[in-house]
Amino acid sequence: MRTAREFLRREPVHRVLSLVLGVVFVFASHDKILDPVAFARIVYYYRLLGPNAEIPPFVANAWAVTLPWIELVAGGLLMLGVARDVWRREAALVCGALLVIFVGAVSYALAQGIDLQNCGCFSVDGAGRGAGLALIAGDLVLLAVAGVLVFLPPAQGSGGDQSPS
Amino acid sequence: MPIKLFRVAVIVLAGAAAGLAGNAVHPAGLELGRNAFLRQGDEMIPVSEAKARHERGALFLDARGHMFWEMARIPGSVNLPEEDFDRSFAALEPQLRARFDLVIYCSGYGCETSHKVAERLRDKGIHAAIVEEGFPAWQDAGYPVEQGPVRP
Repeated sequence: MRTAREFLRREPVHRVLSLVLGVVFVFASHDKILDPVAFARIVYYYRLLGPNAEIPPFVANAWAVTLPWIELVAGGLLMLGVARDVWRREAALVCGALLVIFVGAVSYALAQGIDLQNCGCFSVDGAGRGAGLALIAGDLVLLAVAGVLVFLPPAQGSGGDQSPS
Repeated sequence: MPIKLFRVAVIVLAGAAAGLAGNAVHPAGLELGRNAFLRQGDEMIPVSEAKARHERGALFLDARGHMFWEMARIPGSVNLPEEDFDRSFAALEPQLRARFDLVIYCSGYGCETSHKVAERLRDKGIHAAIVEEGFPAWQDAGYPVEQGPVRP
């Protein structure tokens, strides 16, 4: 167990994980940014943020236009993290928090029996994947990656990003 | 080195600001105060207005799947599900073209089907109003509901 921990604390490992998580998030933001209306409709399908009698459309719409750009900024910083640590842990924390929200939202939809034809994860058109247990499993794997980046940072001496030996 | 919450806040706020700005300059941007299900030409009516039209003999179109329609529906409604639009429309076309008081509903908030069916009807030159909160609102209002297999 101890050796696994030590392995995960190595700087090269963090570089690779940072790149992987960053690429996923930047890729995920692309379609949603290009077609905000289509993505807003997908957000409505989740029936979590309205719109309904109590919640005006603004709430789901604001989420739909801001979420992909937050994914882009956090994912972009993580991609830079392959070369050097640019707010890597903080960006991973944002991605991790988003993944927790995604898992919660998809679980809610499944529990409510809402048949999401497209989860709105990577694509906003008909080619998108549905929301099911496989999706939650994928999210949990990404969440584990974010967890390593956040909670097992490379051991550092005086604060540089040198690899521990 | 602890996580710097300031940085977390900057990432989130920068993303959110970029998102609002990006949407504002996007040629097909989202109008933030408007329901994104709404298409050009959609006529939305509250459930009370739907009831009034029902009493005046309007023809109601149920855009939900066939199973849902068979389970419970607005009395006298016909099923025009989006996933089976072409076949259902072909069967209903003469009836639909003879009417000018069509009303569509589906399963309420988060249900886009009414809008999609209304759009497809519009493409064929047929106008139909959409019940704002759909079938759940109709039920909640205590209006009559028809259940079980359809009488011939």
